[in-house]
Amino acid sequence: MSTVLPEQGSRIRSWVTGFRRRETLAAYGFLSPWIIGFLVFMAAPMIASLVLSLTDYDALRPANFVGMSNYQQLLLDPKVRVSLANTLIYTVMMVPGTMVIALALALLLAKVGRRSVGFFRTVFYLPVVTPKVAVGVLFLLLFNGQVGLINSALSLVGIHGPQWSTDPLWVKPGLVLMHLWAVGGTVVIYLAALKNVPRDLYEAATIDGASAWQRFRRVTLPMISGALFFTFIVETIAGLQTFDEAYAAFYGSAASATYSSDAALFYLIYLFQQAFQFLHLGYASAMAWLLFIVIIVITAIQVRLSRRFVYYEGR
Amino acid sequence: MSAKRDRILFWVILTAVSVLFVYPFLWLISASLKPRDQVFDNVLIPTTWAPGNYVSIWQVAPVLSWFVNSVVVAIAAALTVTVASAVVAFGFAYFRFPGRNALFGLVLATMMLPGAATMIPVYLIWNSVGLATTQVPLWAANLFGSAFYIFLLRQFFLGLPRELFEAARIDGASYWTLFWRIAVPLCRPALIVVAIFELKASWSDLLKPLIYLRDPALYTLPRGLKAISDQFGQAGEQRWEIVLAGSVVTIVPMIVIFFLAQRHFVEGIATQARKG
Amino acid sequence: MVRHLRLGAIVTAGVVVLAGCGGVGADSGQTALTTMGFGTGDEIATTRVALADKAVAPFPVKIGGSAFDAQQFLSAVASHTAPDVIYLDRQLIGTYAARGTLEPLENCIAGQHIDMDQYRPAAVAEVTLNGKVYGLPESYDNRVLVVNNGAVRSVGLRPSDINPADRTALSRVTATLTEHASDGDVSRIGFDPKMPEFFPLWAKASGVQMLSDDGLRANLDDPRLVKVLEYTVGLIDQQGGWGSVKAFRDSFDFFGAKNPLMRDQLAAYPVDDWYLNVLGNVSPNVDMTVMPFTDTAGKPVDWATGSTWAIPAGSRHKDQACTWIKTMTDAPTWIAAAKVRAAKRRAQGKVFTGVFTGNKVADKTIFSDLVKLADKPAFDTAVRTVLEVQDSAFSMPASPAGSEFKSAWQDAVNRVLSGQQKPTEALAQAQQEAQLAIDNAVRRQ
Repeated sequence: MSTVLPEQGSRIRSWVTGFRRRETLAAYGFLSPWIIGFLVFMAAPMIASLVLSLTDYDALRPANFVGMSNYQQLLLDPKVRVSLANTLIYTVMMVPGTMVIALALALLLAKVGRRSVGFFRTVFYLPVVTPKVAVGVLFLLLFNGQVGLINSALSLVGIHGPQWSTDPLWVKPGLVLMHLWAVGGTVVIYLAALKNVPRDLYEAATIDGASAWQRFRRVTLPMISGALFFTFIVETIAGLQTFDEAYAAFYGSAASATYSSDAALFYLIYLFQQAFQFLHLGYASAMAWLLFIVIIVITAIQVRLSRRFVYYEGR
Repeated sequence: MSAKRDRILFWVILTAVSVLFVYPFLWLISASLKPRDQVFDNVLIPTTWAPGNYVSIWQVAPVLSWFVNSVVVAIAAALTVTVASAVVAFGFAYFRFPGRNALFGLVLATMMLPGAATMIPVYLIWNSVGLATTQVPLWAANLFGSAFYIFLLRQFFLGLPRELFEAARIDGASYWTLFWRIAVPLCRPALIVVAIFELKASWSDLLKPLIYLRDPALYTLPRGLKAISDQFGQAGEQRWEIVLAGSVVTIVPMIVIFFLAQRHFVEGIATQARKG
Repeated sequence: MVRHLRLGAIVTAGVVVLAGCGGVGADSGQTALTTMGFGTGDEIATTRVALADKAVAPFPVKIGGSAFDAQQFLSAVASHTAPDVIYLDRQLIGTYAARGTLEPLENCIAGQHIDMDQYRPAAVAEVTLNGKVYGLPESYDNRVLVVNNGAVRSVGLRPSDINPADRTALSRVTATLTEHASDGDVSRIGFDPKMPEFFPLWAKASGVQMLSDDGLRANLDDPRLVKVLEYTVGLIDQQGGWGSVKAFRDSFDFFGAKNPLMRDQLAAYPVDDWYLNVLGNVSPNVDMTVMPFTDTAGKPVDWATGSTWAIPAGSRHKDQACTWIKTMTDAPTWIAAAKVRAAKRRAQGKVFTGVFTGNKVADKTIFSDLVKLADKPAFDTAVRTVLEVQDSAFSMPASPAGSEFKSAWQDAVNRVLSGQQKPTEALAQAQQEAQLAIDNAVRRQ
């Protein structure tokens, strides 16, 4: 203790006595649900999952320690590669698509009268409350290349549509389009952000002779960059964990497995199959850790990017 | 100037987009009322009406119990997460205590934790206590609150004037009273937002019911719809009219709730952005 | 306000209790014989279930689910709530037996004097792993060729011109029979090789055995297999490619009166024999010819598959389970069910085309006494053809990784169909995946 400076010592002391105070006890009482939940449902499972990933556990027989072999198999498994690539391709199409279309719609909504905003907002939001499993079921019908609604509509304008539901090249773009149907949530976020942009900034810009594009580029975008960044991260994480629509449309029954071309095999679907259809819990735990790391890395990159592009009020 | 013309143009574009957004619903409802061989005819008004599809679906699947299950699970999930998150959020908002910032940082960090990362051990936990094939795992983790809602509610609680609480303390109110009698009533709109969000999330969830529910009598509607689509859809008997009627039954309750609570949905999402 | 809060708390508590009870209650109902994977859709199923239930009465039976779901079964085993009886594809038996999730049936067979000779040997072979029987065979699905006479005649051909023995001619005939709409989409499939499902049939017709008899060595990279995959995918490509052929097929109403044969959407294809029963029910007047599928020498080839009953290792009522599955697959049970269906079809003025069971004794009575097709020559030929090819049918050997083996070749075919890989690399990958799965299964056994 001799190395502790007097000042530091008193800080530690106050920190320790802080714990004895009634208020502190009460505070931890209030926090206890979360602390227990964190320990039981997050911390312990993360450690357990790391341990499991070093075994061949299948919940039916005792586990054997297998070292890093699950991780080695991850590198060799062609389906891991395919599902990871599918997931990244989907996310790379879906996230910018969602952001651009949502922003365009929000900008349009911000320009029309207040009464009609409510109506359109309702219409755009309806698909958001539609369970994704129904979206996946609808996908197969609407996007059938021969008789589906989408291609029938396209043929009205003379376009011979692709085989959305069966051509592996078009399955992911089709799923992205289906996902864009539920763009309404992001529209509402952007609309709220647009309303918060102070009017006088636009007036000042107009007086300075800024064109409409310049006002958008120099005023609107920086002022809503917080909302853009928020949706960027949220949509990316959601994209990397895509499951419901693709699973509902293409997986789940023995008969659907017969025709699986892996074009809609997303990472979480493969993880789910390994974990619960084959009970390869050790291998699936290794897969879960890989996904966790991928998400952490991508989010970290996004946060770094945000430091350059996001404007924070009062900084 | 051209402002008025612009506005009309915007209106036209938005109307066109709205048609795009609504048409799939109309198509779905219309197709669910057609006989099997006309499902794909893409005509909005069915040539032959087949409302019997909605009778067939009650006959082939226990849709009513699925509906009840969905309601029970969604309400349990929404109530537990709202109460628990509010308790924890109040803890973070009101008290000054050692470790607060570190713990709150931890709460924020867990928002980034993908559910998939803990999916397997959590399943093993429920399995070890014999609850892995019940509906309990679908909502029971909500008893401990959820990071995002804690974050959201904390912001609301921080917005309450502190003097209110100090006055009550002087009058001898307990911390619990401060929470139940002052904080909660004043933040009711925020609590409703949280409850409705969780209601929607729980109603739509497919992954957890897939993992946990085995007995078809316990299925929720999304899990049931998946079962219907496996049996009667593309890979099965190709009775599309049944699948479509099942989809309508799964979608409609959420749409009704949306119209009833529209204001809260929109407010909730907008707050996400501001606080985010 | 306080009242509101109390109410909220009571509601929460109530919901918690309710949900808990609903969940636990349903699972603790273990005082009945529970089944998984079998749905009681038609009279064949209900009649037999009634008889099997009677055999175990007064012990109650609870029939659950519609189709076997691997995930549900394994999670049930892992949670020690395994059902007492499961119903599944025979090709999956090896995988679950090797993992120790199934009960070998020696005691059941010996204890209840089950005559194994009544079942078809090819079916019993599919459920026998390392000399132990793990299932009692249910159905016996065979593959025959169906030709839509109207379509064939409309292009000036005869049904016998569809000849799988002459592959060059078959692909020429396919081209003639295929029709396209004005926008270029396929509007009639000339010949559907039924890929990936019937790949083993095509393999056998080219002299390839995809899996060794002991189920331990995959043979998926055989050059002859590559060639036949190229050929069958070529048949689909020449009709507009997998994307449009599959999308077109997805829109068919296979089980209704407007099925592809009646609507002239399909000219010829190999089918499972049970589909003949569907046709007999929905379009008894269909103008078709049924012939054996043949190898390149013209000799009939038939790949038999089917489902089976098995008892999970965790079953708590093994005796009742044994009695129940014994009764379900017993000849008198099948015959009783066939009689009910025959009477029903007769009352509706439709044809009874039989039931293709895994029980030889039952089949004999059903097809000699109950099936009367003199006035429906098309179905008469069809049934005769199936009975004729049945006896020489081959089945896929049981393997400790039967399920993974099946996925490996199916996925490979799909990758080729969708243009993601060439046949050689797809099958090489499948070989690697299948062999790895088999080796892993053997190692952990």
